Amino acid sequence: MKNLAAVAFLLGTVGVAVVLAQRIITNPKPEAHLKALFPTAAAFSPLSGEPLHFTAFATDPKSTPSAPPVGYAFWTTDIVPNEHGYHGPIHVLIGLDLKGVITGAIVDYDSEPYGYFSVEPPKFAAQFKGKTIKDAFVVGRDVDAVSRASISINSATRAIRDSSRIIAQKFLPEAAK
Amino acid sequence: MQVAAAETWRDILAPQALDLFLLALFLAFALVSFFRKSVRLKYVALAFAVGYLGFVKSSLVSISDVFRLTDLSLPPFKYSLAWYLFTGFVVVSTVLWGRLYCGRICAYGALTQLMDAVIPAKLRVDIPPSIERRAAWIKYGLLGGVILYYLVTHDLASPVQYAEPFWMFTRFGTTSMWIGLAVLLTATIFVRNLYCRFLCPVGAALGIISNLTVFRIKRWSECNSCKICEKTCEWGAIRGPKIVKTECVRCDDCERLYMDQQKCPHWLIQIKRARPSVARPATAGPSIAASSAPHS
Repeated sequence: MKNLAAVAFLLGTVGVAVVLAQRIITNPKPEAHLKALFPTAAAFSPLSGEPLHFTAFATDPKSTPSAPPVGYAFWTTDIVPNEHGYHGPIHVLIGLDLKGVITGAIVDYDSEPYGYFSVEPPKFAAQFKGKTIKDAFVVGRDVDAVSRASISINSATRAIRDSSRIIAQKFLPEAAK
Repeated sequence: MQVAAAETWRDILAPQALDLFLLALFLAFALVSFFRKSVRLKYVALAFAVGYLGFVKSSLVSISDVFRLTDLSLPPFKYSLAWYLFTGFVVVSTVLWGRLYCGRICAYGALTQLMDAVIPAKLRVDIPPSIERRAAWIKYGLLGGVILYYLVTHDLASPVQYAEPFWMFTRFGTTSMWIGLAVLLTATIFVRNLYCRFLCPVGAALGIISNLTVFRIKRWSECNSCKICEKTCEWGAIRGPKIVKTECVRCDDCERLYMDQQKCPHWLIQIKRARPSVARPATAGPSIAASSAPHS
Protein backbone atom coordinates (compact mmCIF):
# COMPACT_ATOMS: atom_id res chain seq x y z
CA MET A 1 0.00 0.00 0.00
CA LYS A 2 2.88 2.32 0.87
CA ASN A 3 4.55 1.57 -2.46
CA LEU A 4 1.31 2.24 -4.32
CA ALA A 5 0.97 5.62 -2.61
CA ALA A 6 4.59 6.47 -3.48
CA VAL A 7 4.03 5.57 -7.15
CA ALA A 8 0.79 7.59 -7.24
CA PHE A 9 2.58 10.56 -5.68
CA LEU A 10 5.43 10.30 -8.19
CA LEU A 11 3.07 10.05 -11.17
CA GLY A 12 1.03 12.99 -9.86
CA THR A 13 4.14 15.14 -9.46
CA VAL A 14 5.40 14.27 -12.94
CA GLY A 15 1.92 15.00 -14.37
CA VAL A 16 1.77 18.44 -12.73
CA ALA A 17 5.30 19.18 -13.92
CA VAL A 18 4.47 18.23 -17.52
CA VAL A 19 1.28 20.33 -17.49
CA LEU A 20 3.17 23.31 -16.07
CA ALA A 21 5.89 22.84 -18.66
CA GLN A 22 3.38 23.14 -21.50
CA ARG A 23 2.49 26.77 -20.68
CA ILE A 24 2.24 29.05 -23.68
CA ILE A 25 4.66 31.87 -23.11
CA THR A 26 4.71 33.75 -26.43
CA ASN A 27 3.82 37.38 -25.77
CA PRO A 28 0.16 37.78 -26.87
CA LYS A 29 0.40 41.60 -27.02
CA PRO A 30 3.51 42.55 -28.99
CA GLU A 31 2.11 45.86 -30.36
CA ALA A 32 4.80 48.04 -28.77
CA HIS A 33 7.50 45.69 -30.11
CA LEU A 34 5.99 45.84 -33.62
CA LYS A 35 5.99 49.63 -33.51
CA ALA A 36 9.65 49.58 -32.44
CA LEU A 37 10.55 47.33 -35.37
CA PHE A 38 8.61 49.42 -37.93
CA PRO A 39 8.29 52.96 -36.49
CA THR A 40 6.81 54.40 -39.70
CA ALA A 41 4.19 51.66 -40.21
CA ALA A 42 0.58 52.80 -39.85
CA ALA A 43 -0.92 49.36 -39.21
CA PHE A 44 -0.10 45.72 -38.69
CA SER A 45 -2.05 42.60 -39.66
CA PRO A 46 -2.93 40.12 -36.94
CA LEU A 47 -0.54 37.18 -36.47
CA SER A 48 -1.63 34.89 -39.30
CA GLY A 49 -0.57 33.05 -42.46
CA GLU A 50 1.75 30.16 -43.12
CA PRO A 51 4.28 30.51 -41.62
CA LEU A 52 2.79 32.76 -38.94
CA HIS A 53 3.75 36.44 -39.33
CA PHE A 54 2.59 40.03 -38.92
CA THR A 55 2.51 42.24 -42.03
CA ALA A 56 3.47 45.91 -41.57
CA PHE A 57 1.66 48.47 -43.77
CA ALA A 58 2.61 52.10 -44.52
CA THR A 59 -1.09 52.99 -44.63
CA ASP A 60 -3.96 51.31 -42.82
CA PRO A 61 -5.43 48.62 -45.12
CA LYS A 62 -8.84 49.33 -43.58
CA SER A 63 -8.87 52.72 -45.35
CA THR A 64 -6.67 51.69 -48.28
CA PRO A 65 -7.37 48.05 -49.10
CA SER A 66 -4.58 47.97 -51.69
CA ALA A 67 -1.96 49.25 -49.19
CA PRO A 68 1.33 47.52 -49.98
CA PRO A 69 3.33 45.89 -47.16
CA VAL A 70 6.53 47.54 -45.98
CA GLY A 71 7.84 44.50 -44.18
CA TYR A 72 7.14 41.48 -42.02
CA ALA A 73 7.52 40.70 -38.35
CA PHE A 74 7.62 37.21 -36.89
CA TRP A 75 8.49 35.18 -33.83
CA THR A 76 11.51 32.92 -34.21
CA THR A 77 9.61 30.34 -32.14
CA ASP A 78 6.85 30.17 -34.79
CA ILE A 79 9.22 29.84 -37.74
CA VAL A 80 11.89 27.51 -36.27
CA PRO A 81 10.05 25.86 -33.36
CA ASN A 82 12.70 23.18 -32.94
CA GLU A 83 15.49 25.67 -32.26
CA HIS A 84 16.41 25.33 -28.61
CA GLY A 85 18.86 27.16 -26.36
CA TYR A 86 20.58 25.84 -23.25
CA HIS A 87 17.27 25.41 -21.45
CA GLY A 88 14.52 26.25 -23.93
CA PRO A 89 13.46 28.25 -26.97
CA ILE A 90 14.50 31.92 -27.00
CA HIS A 91 11.55 34.05 -28.12
CA VAL A 92 12.81 36.73 -30.52
CA LEU A 93 10.52 39.04 -32.51
CA ILE A 94 12.17 40.11 -35.77
CA GLY A 95 11.33 42.77 -38.33
CA LEU A 96 12.36 42.21 -41.95
CA ASP A 97 11.92 44.81 -44.70
CA LEU A 98 11.22 44.06 -48.35
CA LYS A 99 14.95 44.24 -49.24
CA GLY A 100 15.80 41.44 -46.82
CA VAL A 101 17.28 43.76 -44.21
CA ILE A 102 16.52 43.13 -40.54
CA THR A 103 14.87 46.27 -39.13
CA GLY A 104 15.33 45.07 -35.57
CA ALA A 105 15.23 42.09 -33.22
CA ILE A 106 13.72 41.99 -29.74
CA VAL A 107 14.39 39.20 -27.23
CA ASP A 108 11.03 38.99 -25.47
CA TYR A 109 11.38 35.84 -23.36
CA ASP A 110 13.98 33.24 -22.58
CA SER A 111 14.62 30.66 -19.88
CA GLU A 112 18.39 30.55 -20.25
CA PRO A 113 20.21 30.32 -16.91
CA TYR A 114 22.86 32.77 -18.11
CA GLY A 115 20.45 34.74 -20.29
CA TYR A 116 20.96 37.79 -18.07
CA PHE A 117 24.38 38.46 -19.50
CA SER A 118 24.09 36.80 -22.93
CA VAL A 119 20.85 37.18 -24.90
CA GLU A 120 18.88 39.54 -22.63
CA PRO A 121 21.07 42.68 -22.67
CA PRO A 122 19.68 44.89 -25.50
CA LYS A 123 23.10 45.09 -27.15
CA PHE A 124 22.81 41.42 -28.17
CA ALA A 125 19.65 41.95 -30.23
CA ALA A 126 20.77 45.41 -31.42
CA GLN A 127 23.67 43.95 -33.39
CA PHE A 128 21.24 42.24 -35.78
CA LYS A 129 19.62 45.50 -36.89
CA GLY A 130 20.80 46.30 -40.42
CA LYS A 131 22.00 42.76 -41.19
CA THR A 132 20.73 41.19 -44.39
CA ILE A 133 19.57 37.63 -44.84
CA LYS A 134 22.69 37.04 -46.94
CA ASP A 135 25.08 37.84 -44.07
CA ALA A 136 27.03 34.98 -42.47
CA PHE A 137 25.56 35.12 -38.91
CA VAL A 138 28.64 33.40 -37.49
CA VAL A 139 29.18 33.84 -33.76
CA GLY A 140 32.67 35.15 -33.19
CA ARG A 141 32.83 36.66 -36.67
CA ASP A 142 29.90 38.95 -37.44
CA VAL A 143 28.03 38.25 -34.17
CA ASP A 144 29.69 38.97 -30.80
CA ALA A 145 30.65 35.82 -28.88
CA VAL A 146 30.14 35.32 -25.15
CA SER A 147 32.24 32.25 -24.48
CA ARG A 148 30.62 31.42 -21.15
CA ALA A 149 27.10 31.24 -22.64
CA SER A 150 27.88 29.92 -26.10
CA ILE A 151 24.92 27.53 -26.40
CA SER A 152 22.43 30.38 -25.77
CA ILE A 153 24.16 32.87 -28.06
CA ASN A 154 24.53 30.34 -30.87
CA SER A 155 20.91 29.22 -30.59
CA ALA A 156 19.49 32.77 -30.70
CA THR A 157 21.74 33.60 -33.67
CA ARG A 158 20.67 30.50 -35.59
CA ALA A 159 17.01 31.22 -34.80
CA ILE A 160 17.31 34.79 -36.14
CA ARG A 161 19.25 33.70 -39.24
CA ASP A 162 17.08 30.75 -40.19
CA SER A 163 13.70 32.34 -39.49
CA SER A 164 14.66 35.49 -41.45
CA ARG A 165 15.78 33.43 -44.41
CA ILE A 166 12.59 31.33 -44.34
CA ILE A 167 10.35 34.43 -44.27
CA ALA A 168 12.42 36.03 -47.04
CA GLN A 169 12.12 32.89 -49.17
CA LYS A 170 8.38 32.87 -48.74
CA PHE A 171 7.36 36.53 -48.94
CA LEU A 172 10.10 38.78 -50.35
CA PRO A 173 10.52 39.70 -54.01
CA GLU A 174 12.96 37.52 -55.96
CA ALA A 175 15.66 40.22 -56.01
CA ALA A 176 15.86 40.30 -52.22
CA LYS A 177 16.21 36.53 -51.66
CA MET B 1 10.56 24.72 -44.75
CA GLN B 2 13.98 25.13 -46.32
CA VAL B 3 16.73 27.20 -44.85
CA ALA B 4 18.54 29.21 -47.53
CA ALA B 5 22.02 27.79 -46.79
CA ALA B 6 22.15 24.26 -45.37
CA GLU B 7 24.85 23.50 -42.80
CA THR B 8 27.35 20.75 -43.35
CA TRP B 9 28.64 18.51 -40.55
CA ARG B 10 31.95 20.33 -40.90
CA ASP B 11 30.16 23.63 -40.16
CA ILE B 12 28.60 22.03 -37.07
CA LEU B 13 31.66 20.21 -35.73
CA ALA B 14 34.45 22.70 -36.45
CA PRO B 15 33.42 25.29 -33.82
CA GLN B 16 33.03 22.53 -31.20
CA ALA B 17 36.17 20.50 -31.93
CA LEU B 18 38.56 22.28 -29.54
CA ASP B 19 36.06 22.24 -26.65
CA LEU B 20 35.33 18.56 -27.20
CA PHE B 21 39.02 17.68 -27.35
CA LEU B 22 39.97 19.60 -24.19
CA LEU B 23 36.97 18.30 -22.27
CA ALA B 24 37.66 14.68 -23.27
CA LEU B 25 41.32 15.16 -22.34
CA PHE B 26 40.43 16.56 -18.93
CA LEU B 27 37.85 13.87 -18.14
CA ALA B 28 40.36 11.17 -19.10
CA PHE B 29 42.98 12.83 -16.91
CA ALA B 30 40.55 13.09 -13.99
CA LEU B 31 39.84 9.36 -14.29
CA VAL B 32 43.57 8.56 -14.39
CA SER B 33 44.11 10.63 -11.23
CA PHE B 34 41.20 8.78 -9.62
CA PHE B 35 42.43 5.30 -10.49
CA ARG B 36 46.04 6.09 -9.60
CA LYS B 37 44.94 7.51 -6.21
CA SER B 38 47.63 10.14 -6.72
CA VAL B 39 47.45 13.29 -4.61
CA ARG B 40 49.60 15.21 -7.08
CA LEU B 41 47.49 14.25 -10.11
CA LYS B 42 44.34 15.06 -8.18
CA TYR B 43 45.55 18.59 -7.49
CA VAL B 44 46.47 19.02 -11.16
CA ALA B 45 42.91 17.92 -12.04
CA LEU B 46 41.46 20.38 -9.49
CA ALA B 47 43.53 23.24 -10.91
CA PHE B 48 42.44 22.38 -14.46
CA ALA B 49 38.81 22.17 -13.33
CA VAL B 50 38.97 25.67 -11.84
CA GLY B 51 40.90 27.18 -14.76
CA TYR B 52 39.32 25.57 -17.80
CA LEU B 53 35.89 24.25 -16.78
CA GLY B 54 35.42 27.19 -14.41
CA PHE B 55 36.87 30.44 -15.62
CA VAL B 56 37.18 29.64 -19.34
CA LYS B 57 34.01 27.64 -20.04
CA SER B 58 31.79 28.04 -16.95
CA SER B 59 30.79 24.40 -17.48
CA LEU B 60 29.35 23.18 -14.21
CA VAL B 61 26.31 21.05 -13.54
CA SER B 62 23.75 23.58 -12.34
CA ILE B 63 20.41 23.39 -10.60
CA SER B 64 18.99 24.43 -14.00
CA ASP B 65 20.12 21.01 -15.26
CA VAL B 66 17.91 19.44 -12.60
CA PHE B 67 15.02 21.72 -13.62
CA ARG B 68 15.32 20.53 -17.20
CA LEU B 69 14.24 17.08 -16.04
CA THR B 70 10.88 18.58 -15.06
CA ASP B 71 10.58 20.30 -18.45
CA LEU B 72 11.93 17.34 -20.42
CA SER B 73 13.99 20.04 -22.10
CA LEU B 74 17.47 19.38 -23.48
CA PRO B 75 19.82 21.51 -25.58
CA PRO B 76 20.11 20.56 -29.29
CA PHE B 77 22.39 17.54 -29.56
CA LYS B 78 24.40 18.42 -32.67
CA TYR B 79 25.23 21.93 -31.43
CA SER B 80 25.93 20.92 -27.83
CA LEU B 81 28.19 17.89 -28.10
CA ALA B 82 30.49 19.02 -25.28
CA TRP B 83 27.50 19.49 -22.98
CA TYR B 84 26.27 15.96 -23.69
CA LEU B 85 29.75 14.51 -23.13
CA PHE B 86 30.08 16.43 -19.86
CA THR B 87 26.60 15.68 -18.51
CA GLY B 88 26.75 12.06 -19.67
CA PHE B 89 30.07 11.64 -17.91
CA VAL B 90 28.69 13.12 -14.68
CA VAL B 91 25.67 10.79 -14.63
CA VAL B 92 27.56 7.65 -15.67
CA SER B 93 30.50 8.28 -13.32
CA THR B 94 28.07 8.87 -10.43
CA VAL B 95 26.34 5.57 -11.10
CA LEU B 96 29.67 3.77 -11.40
CA TRP B 97 31.70 5.33 -8.58
CA GLY B 98 29.54 7.87 -6.72
CA ARG B 99 29.99 11.64 -6.51
CA LEU B 100 33.30 11.67 -8.37
CA TYR B 101 32.11 14.86 -10.09
CA CYS B 102 31.79 16.74 -6.80
CA GLY B 103 35.23 15.74 -5.58
CA ARG B 104 37.30 16.28 -8.71
CA ILE B 105 35.51 17.88 -11.65
CA CYS B 106 33.11 20.54 -10.33
CA ALA B 107 35.02 23.83 -10.65
CA TYR B 108 33.52 25.28 -7.45
CA GLY B 109 34.27 22.15 -5.42
CA ALA B 110 37.78 22.16 -6.87
CA LEU B 111 38.20 25.81 -5.90
CA THR B 112 37.21 25.20 -2.28
CA GLN B 113 39.48 22.16 -2.08
CA LEU B 114 42.39 24.22 -3.40
CA MET B 115 41.52 26.91 -0.84
CA ASP B 116 41.57 24.23 1.83
CA ALA B 117 45.04 23.14 0.73
CA VAL B 118 46.57 26.59 1.23
CA ILE B 119 44.58 27.97 4.18
CA PRO B 120 46.28 27.29 7.55
CA ALA B 121 44.63 24.36 9.32
CA LYS B 122 44.50 26.28 12.61
CA LEU B 123 41.73 28.47 11.15
CA ARG B 124 39.45 25.48 10.64
CA VAL B 125 36.45 24.91 12.87
CA ASP B 126 35.60 21.24 13.27
CA ILE B 127 31.86 20.73 13.23
CA PRO B 128 30.71 18.18 15.83
CA PRO B 129 29.64 14.96 14.05
CA SER B 130 26.08 15.16 15.37
CA ILE B 131 25.60 18.64 13.83
CA GLU B 132 27.47 17.63 10.67
CA ARG B 133 25.14 14.70 10.18
CA ARG B 134 22.04 16.88 10.49
CA ALA B 135 23.50 19.72 8.39
CA ALA B 136 24.10 17.31 5.50
CA TRP B 137 20.32 17.12 5.10
CA ILE B 138 20.01 20.87 4.43
CA LYS B 139 21.03 20.39 0.80
CA TYR B 140 18.18 17.92 0.24
CA GLY B 141 15.74 20.46 1.68
CA LEU B 142 17.19 23.11 -0.63
CA LEU B 143 16.91 20.76 -3.62
CA GLY B 144 13.23 20.09 -2.89
CA GLY B 145 12.60 23.78 -2.20
CA VAL B 146 14.12 25.11 -5.42
CA ILE B 147 12.41 22.42 -7.55
CA LEU B 148 9.06 23.34 -6.01
CA TYR B 149 9.81 27.05 -6.51
CA TYR B 150 10.66 26.42 -10.16
CA LEU B 151 7.56 24.29 -10.82
CA VAL B 152 5.33 27.00 -9.41
CA THR B 153 7.03 30.11 -10.85
CA HIS B 154 9.09 28.85 -13.80
CA ASP B 155 11.66 31.42 -12.65
CA LEU B 156 14.94 29.79 -13.49
CA ALA B 157 17.18 32.81 -13.06
CA SER B 158 16.75 33.37 -9.30
CA PRO B 159 17.80 29.87 -8.17
CA VAL B 160 20.78 29.98 -10.55
CA GLN B 161 21.85 33.34 -9.17
CA TYR B 162 21.06 32.87 -5.49
CA ALA B 163 20.88 29.14 -4.65
CA GLU B 164 24.27 28.27 -6.14
CA PRO B 165 27.53 30.19 -6.58
CA PHE B 166 28.55 28.70 -9.94
CA TRP B 167 27.77 31.93 -11.81
CA MET B 168 30.93 33.36 -10.20
CA PHE B 169 33.01 31.79 -12.96
CA THR B 170 31.16 33.88 -15.57
CA ARG B 171 32.16 37.05 -13.65
CA PHE B 172 28.66 38.43 -14.29
CA GLY B 173 26.92 39.18 -11.02
CA THR B 174 24.99 41.91 -9.26
CA THR B 175 26.32 43.55 -6.08
CA SER B 176 24.07 41.38 -3.90
CA MET B 177 25.30 38.22 -5.66
CA TRP B 178 28.94 39.18 -5.07
CA ILE B 179 28.26 39.99 -1.42
CA GLY B 180 26.57 36.59 -0.94
CA LEU B 181 29.52 34.88 -2.58
CA ALA B 182 32.01 36.75 -0.40
CA VAL B 183 30.14 35.61 2.73
CA LEU B 184 30.08 32.02 1.48
CA LEU B 185 33.79 31.93 0.61
CA THR B 186 34.70 33.59 3.91
CA ALA B 187 32.71 30.96 5.82
CA THR B 188 34.47 28.27 3.72
CA ILE B 189 37.81 29.41 5.17
CA PHE B 190 36.62 28.20 8.57
CA VAL B 191 34.34 25.30 7.59
CA ARG B 192 35.98 23.28 4.83
CA ASN B 193 33.86 22.42 1.78
CA LEU B 194 30.92 24.14 3.46
CA TYR B 195 28.77 24.58 0.35
CA CYS B 196 29.46 21.14 -1.12
CA ARG B 197 28.77 19.28 2.12
CA PHE B 198 25.75 21.12 3.43
CA LEU B 199 24.15 23.37 0.83
CA CYS B 200 24.62 22.24 -2.76
CA PRO B 201 21.32 21.12 -4.38
CA VAL B 202 23.22 19.60 -7.31
CA GLY B 203 25.31 17.60 -4.83
CA ALA B 204 22.05 16.45 -3.23
CA ALA B 205 20.70 15.32 -6.62
CA LEU B 206 23.95 13.45 -7.34
CA GLY B 207 23.80 12.07 -3.79
CA ILE B 208 20.43 10.54 -4.61
CA ILE B 209 21.85 8.98 -7.80
CA SER B 210 24.89 7.74 -5.89
CA ASN B 211 22.64 5.28 -4.05
CA LEU B 212 23.00 3.26 -7.26
CA THR B 213 26.83 3.26 -7.09
CA VAL B 214 28.20 0.07 -8.61
CA PHE B 215 31.87 0.16 -7.55
CA ARG B 216 31.93 1.09 -3.88
CA ILE B 217 34.89 1.66 -1.60
CA LYS B 218 36.05 -1.57 -0.03
CA ARG B 219 36.14 -1.91 3.73
CA TRP B 220 38.27 -4.25 5.83
CA SER B 221 36.80 -6.12 8.76
CA GLU B 222 39.16 -4.03 10.93
CA CYS B 223 37.19 -0.92 9.86
CA ASN B 224 34.51 -1.94 12.38
CA SER B 225 36.66 -0.68 15.22
CA CYS B 226 39.29 1.55 13.60
CA LYS B 227 38.61 5.30 13.38
CA ILE B 228 41.61 6.51 11.32
CA CYS B 229 39.69 6.95 8.06
CA GLU B 230 36.66 8.43 9.82
CA LYS B 231 38.85 11.11 11.38
CA THR B 232 40.66 11.76 8.13
CA CYS B 233 37.56 12.11 5.93
CA GLU B 234 37.09 15.83 5.37
CA TRP B 235 33.64 15.23 3.88
CA GLY B 236 32.14 13.59 6.98
CA ALA B 237 31.28 10.57 4.84
CA ILE B 238 32.50 7.82 7.18
CA ARG B 239 30.45 6.85 10.19
CA GLY B 240 31.96 3.95 12.06
CA PRO B 241 32.35 0.98 9.72
CA LYS B 242 30.03 2.51 7.13
CA ILE B 243 30.76 4.85 4.23
CA VAL B 244 27.79 7.13 3.59
CA LYS B 245 27.75 6.96 -0.18
CA THR B 246 25.53 10.02 -0.60
CA GLU B 247 28.20 12.15 1.13
CA CYS B 248 31.30 10.45 -0.25
CA VAL B 249 32.92 12.34 -3.17
CA ARG B 250 35.62 9.73 -3.85
CA CYS B 251 38.44 12.02 -2.70
CA ASP B 252 40.71 8.97 -2.23
CA ASP B 253 41.86 9.95 1.28
CA CYS B 254 40.53 6.80 2.95
CA GLU B 255 41.54 4.57 0.04
CA ARG B 256 45.10 5.85 0.28
CA LEU B 257 45.02 4.97 3.96
CA TYR B 258 43.79 1.45 3.17
CA MET B 259 46.83 1.00 0.96
CA ASP B 260 49.26 2.44 3.50
CA GLN B 261 50.82 -0.61 5.09
CA GLN B 262 52.37 1.49 7.82
CA LYS B 263 49.14 3.08 8.99
CA CYS B 264 46.18 0.82 8.21
CA PRO B 265 45.58 -1.70 11.06
CA HIS B 266 44.51 -4.29 8.52
CA TRP B 267 48.04 -4.47 7.14
CA LEU B 268 49.73 -4.05 10.50
CA ILE B 269 47.84 -7.07 11.84
CA GLN B 270 48.60 -9.09 8.70
CA ILE B 271 52.28 -8.26 8.96
CA LYS B 272 52.38 -9.03 12.66
CA ARG B 273 50.79 -12.41 12.06
CA ALA B 274 53.14 -13.22 9.20
CA ARG B 275 56.30 -12.11 11.00
CA PRO B 276 55.61 -12.23 14.75
CA SER B 277 59.24 -11.60 15.63
CA VAL B 278 59.25 -8.19 13.92
CA ALA B 279 57.60 -5.54 16.09
CA ARG B 280 57.07 -2.82 13.47
CA PRO B 281 57.91 -3.66 9.84
CA ALA B 282 58.62 -0.91 7.33
CA THR B 283 56.59 -2.40 4.50
CA ALA B 284 54.67 -5.56 3.79
CA GLY B 285 55.55 -7.90 0.96
CA PRO B 286 53.27 -8.39 -2.03
CA SER B 287 52.48 -11.97 -0.97
CA ILE B 288 50.77 -10.64 2.16
CA ALA B 289 48.81 -8.06 0.18
CA ALA B 290 47.68 -10.70 -2.31
CA SER B 291 46.41 -12.93 0.45
CA SER B 292 44.00 -10.35 1.87
CA ALA B 293 40.78 -9.63 0.07
CA PRO B 294 38.74 -6.62 1.22
CA HIS B 295 34.98 -6.79 1.49
CA SER B 296 32.43 -4.25 0.31
